[in-house]
Amino acid sequence: QSMSLSMTQSQMAAWRKQIFEQLSERSKRELDNFRHYKQAVEQSVWVKKGAI
Amino acid sequence: MADDKDVLRDVWFGRIPTCFTLNPDEATEREAEPYYLLLPRVSYLPLVTDKVKKHFLKVMKAEDVEMWFEYEGTPLKWHYPVGVLFDLHASNTVLPWSITVHFKSFPDQDLLHCPSNSVVEAHFMSSIKEADALKHKSQVINDMQKKDHKQLWMGLQNDKFDQFWAMNRKLMEYSTEEGGFRYIPFRIYQTSSDRPFIQKLFRPVSPEGSAHTLGDLLNEMYPDALTRDGEKKRYQVLIHGIEPLLETPLQWLSEHLSHPDNFLHICVVPAPTD
Repeated sequence: QSMSLSMTQSQMAAWRKQIFEQLSERSKRELDNFRHYKQAVEQSVWVKKGAI
Repeated sequence: MADDKDVLRDVWFGRIPTCFTLNPDEATEREAEPYYLLLPRVSYLPLVTDKVKKHFLKVMKAEDVEMWFEYEGTPLKWHYPVGVLFDLHASNTVLPWSITVHFKSFPDQDLLHCPSNSVVEAHFMSSIKEADALKHKSQVINDMQKKDHKQLWMGLQNDKFDQFWAMNRKLMEYSTEEGGFRYIPFRIYQTSSDRPFIQKLFRPVSPEGSAHTLGDLLNEMYPDALTRDGEKKRYQVLIHGIEPLLETPLQWLSEHLSHPDNFLHICVVPAPTD
């Protein structure tokens, strides 16, 4: 039983690891050379207006 | 090791570097310079192209006309997420993504009109409601208040990850005894078909109690997308520009790689031949 459990854990690690690695590669491919481009949506700061 | 929550952030902050060029047939007063922008993968074109419109209207003769986009002869459907449009039509091409901007000859046969962002909001909220009908028989979305729905929309519109996920996490919950959602909201897109996408009922867990995987879903919905033993790979299966392993559990994918509309958008595209 412990062997089948460790098999499952190692399989899980493989697909999860693959996703983390690929997202990191995607970021390098799609972002690293283009960081000087403008963002489409401005990161504005939320301002609460109170009654005067 | 990185945390699963980091995946949500990576997905949200995915960007496509894009070069917008004006269609040469448009009537202009002077030559239009191309415009470069980082487009959020999880957003929709009308929400992220205000700057593009402003840039090109400076040189246009006409004003107040509906802007639409095309990539290599294909009109781009604004009601698909940006990342889906890129993965489906332009993955494996050289970046930046080169999009042509049009103002005249709107292709009514191919595209829906989008006169304002409230049309995008209606489309987005209707997708979220459809997804929750599949996941929780609409119980979660119906229990939310109008301001909660607004928070989901404003989070997407203003690119506010925390604002969006503070509410969206409720749509991702399920009881441990069920082992997942009732059905997985997914859409499979393919380039070589007249059908817009494949969408059917599919459960995250088999009747025997084992977790369904991405491979199980494709085997049932689109077996041609899979590579058989000894066969050359013909298709790539892309979600947010990456190729998850076929043994990835579908429930996990639905929770972590769904778009803000709560659907898992899967693109099946021809594998590069080089």
